[in-house]
Amino acid sequence: MVLMLFSTVSDYVHGRLIECYRGSRKATGLLTSSIIINLFMLGFFKYVDFLIRAVNSMAGTALPLLKLPLPIGISFYTFQTMSYTIDVYRGEAKVQKSLLDFGVFVTMFPQLIAGPIVKYKQIEDRLSDRRVDIQAMSYGLKRFVTGLAKKVLLANNVGELWAEISSMNYSEMSVATAWLGVVAFALQIYFDFSGYSDMAIGLGACMGFHFPENFNYPYISTSITEFWRRWHISLGGWFREYVYIPLGGNRKGRARQLMNILIVWLLTGIWHGAGWNFLFWGLWFAAFLILEKLFLGKVLACFSKPVQHLYACIVVLIGWVFFAVETMEGIMAYLNALFGINGAGLYSSQSLYMGRKYAILLAIAVTAATPLWGSLMKRLKAMGTGYAIALYRLGEKVIPAVLMLMSIAYIVEASYNPFLYFRF
Amino acid sequence: MGERNNNIFTVFIICGIIMIFTVADFVKHDRVYSETENRVLASKPKFSKEGVLSGRYAEDYEEYVTDQFVGRDKWVGIKTGLDVLLQKKDINGVYLGKDGYLIEQHKPEDFPKEQEIQRLTLLETLVEKWNAQVMLVPTADNILTDKLPAHAAYFDEAAFLERVKEKIGKANYIDVYSVLAEHAQEDIYYRTDHHWTSLGAYYGYYAWVKATGRLPYYYAPDKMQIVTEEFWGTLHSKVRLPRRADAIRIFPETNKKEISVTYDFQKTTHSYYEESYLDTKNKYGYFLDDNHGFVEITTGYARSNTLFVIKDSYANSLIPLLAPHYKTIYVVDLRYFNSRLFSFMEQYLPQESTAAAGNNAPYGNGKMDVLVLYNCVHFLEDFHYYE
Repeated sequence: MVLMLFSTVSDYVHGRLIECYRGSRKATGLLTSSIIINLFMLGFFKYVDFLIRAVNSMAGTALPLLKLPLPIGISFYTFQTMSYTIDVYRGEAKVQKSLLDFGVFVTMFPQLIAGPIVKYKQIEDRLSDRRVDIQAMSYGLKRFVTGLAKKVLLANNVGELWAEISSMNYSEMSVATAWLGVVAFALQIYFDFSGYSDMAIGLGACMGFHFPENFNYPYISTSITEFWRRWHISLGGWFREYVYIPLGGNRKGRARQLMNILIVWLLTGIWHGAGWNFLFWGLWFAAFLILEKLFLGKVLACFSKPVQHLYACIVVLIGWVFFAVETMEGIMAYLNALFGINGAGLYSSQSLYMGRKYAILLAIAVTAATPLWGSLMKRLKAMGTGYAIALYRLGEKVIPAVLMLMSIAYIVEASYNPFLYFRF
Repeated sequence: MGERNNNIFTVFIICGIIMIFTVADFVKHDRVYSETENRVLASKPKFSKEGVLSGRYAEDYEEYVTDQFVGRDKWVGIKTGLDVLLQKKDINGVYLGKDGYLIEQHKPEDFPKEQEIQRLTLLETLVEKWNAQVMLVPTADNILTDKLPAHAAYFDEAAFLERVKEKIGKANYIDVYSVLAEHAQEDIYYRTDHHWTSLGAYYGYYAWVKATGRLPYYYAPDKMQIVTEEFWGTLHSKVRLPRRADAIRIFPETNKKEISVTYDFQKTTHSYYEESYLDTKNKYGYFLDDNHGFVEITTGYARSNTLFVIKDSYANSLIPLLAPHYKTIYVVDLRYFNSRLFSFMEQYLPQESTAAAGNNAPYGNGKMDVLVLYNCVHFLEDFHYYE
């Protein structure tokens, strides 16, 4: 929390100083200083042990790891405060004179821990001029409950399947189990992340803020390019605005564009976590994005949509292996399992048991990852008849209520901890 | 309804739910202990500066709120009901078996070879030094295999028992597995608890008698006495679903003699059975007063030999059946026993020997029968002693 306070005060001061020295070289210096401070803070707490390990393995030294606790939300608020100073410098946002209002921007609790990453200019006018109206509250609460349900009912439960599979021995895992595992992880991380985003957006709406969307049904994408326009939109937008475009974007020729993509995606990868596997994850997508820009995109367009969708799903699912398994040996072993190279067979009784156990949950989760349910509600409303509208209105209230009750049940049960053996 | 009214109504409903539970939470008294979970529930944490700064206060407070949540047990029941709707066949480590059976889940991965080797080595020493007889009872998932859900995994205890037999030798191994397997269609395990029933214990007794070449005492399974018909055991606590209750039965023959049972050198009673447990959730504690480190039983039978049992809770329903064969029975539960086992056991060797001659066991020279009585899973998880 001290760090957050420090970051807030630091960038508030930077913002005002930049305003004072606008136009002069001092302003540029201040901008650089703000960026350096923010990145240093982030880099130090998040990546210092990663760097130490890397140095140790390359130089053969045995420097001790610092094992610093990772301050909560640091990846998010450093990016947010940086966007403030950059926007002020560029003149795209007015400097915030009130430290309190600026503090609100940084510490806005709904999206502090898990995003969406809000660019200052997106909400700057709302900081001082906010109206709380009942329509926004109604929408916000519904959105919040949706997010809660996604996290508690879907993400946590599908996560149990992944927890079971990820603790198995990969070199003895059948193909079916391995794919079941990545699908489970893919659904877990999506519902976890988009659930938190929904809750943040919902709470923000209740308070009169309009946060940007962060997810747009990424798993219906038909290409990797499309996937990254639908997944963690606020991060992609941040990198595009503050790294890709300043580097030249696609305005400096093809080669430069591909290099820019590579750089941005390496950064995207490492932003997600301090490990080589995350770097690799970013690289994986960079490769496909580049290939799609070069020729793959045109090739894919020759095929039907379902085939394109299959391509995208497979690439993304394999990508999740790099994200979820954190050691290189583990990744190799898991990939072997995915493609049946480990000789464990196509499926096993474990695959059958787990498949049956989670079949219904997975079906619900997969459909919830598509716009299906939302569009059903919208179509109901659009039908226009009195009966349809009444049903819609009823559903609009009953469904969040039911979801809330179910969520409470799951949250309470998670702490249910019968301690049996000591007494038996 | 106008759009505005509609919005107000939506807000009202969602906030209403939050408000109801917040108020109910404040109003309700805190529970100290949960019978269903068999543990003390978190109480309100004390506010302290260090607590807040270190983050522990917030953690503890969160634990406190969830533990004391109004209607907690019912919420757990709702969640379990939803799980069943999702067609989940195991909840909280318990399989939802056919015919109303709850069967405890034991995955093969949970029993690594090193642990097994360690336990078997300890067992082998006990067998060598004391000529101990070993009775390891299979758990329900190995015997009631037809009641398990399809493709359910279980730790192969039959194979494990073969390894045990090889390690300690056939002479000291009591084969309970085959006897139980023969009677698998009978009520030999509880439907809501991980223990075997008194009928199962009876078949265990039968296996013991057969293996040790004794004349069995006559017990009549069809004349068993019902002690309670409202037993919901440990597995029911883990899976809060409505289930048919189990009945606990005993053999009235075990109540015939004047006996004395002393627990941990302190409490002495005159029955194997402790009635007070029948009013609590933990009804299995009825057998030998639940768990004690050391129990001394004087059986009242006109015998002159001694039995020393090293056991887990499975033995509690079997030991009364062994009484007719011994004058005194000593029982040790290694979970509560921390001193050196062999010297402790030596204290209880009888002065004269009337046990089978020709036992060349280094300790006691066969004066005292030693029986190791565990279920397979507890044995692999818990069995440990200091020589």
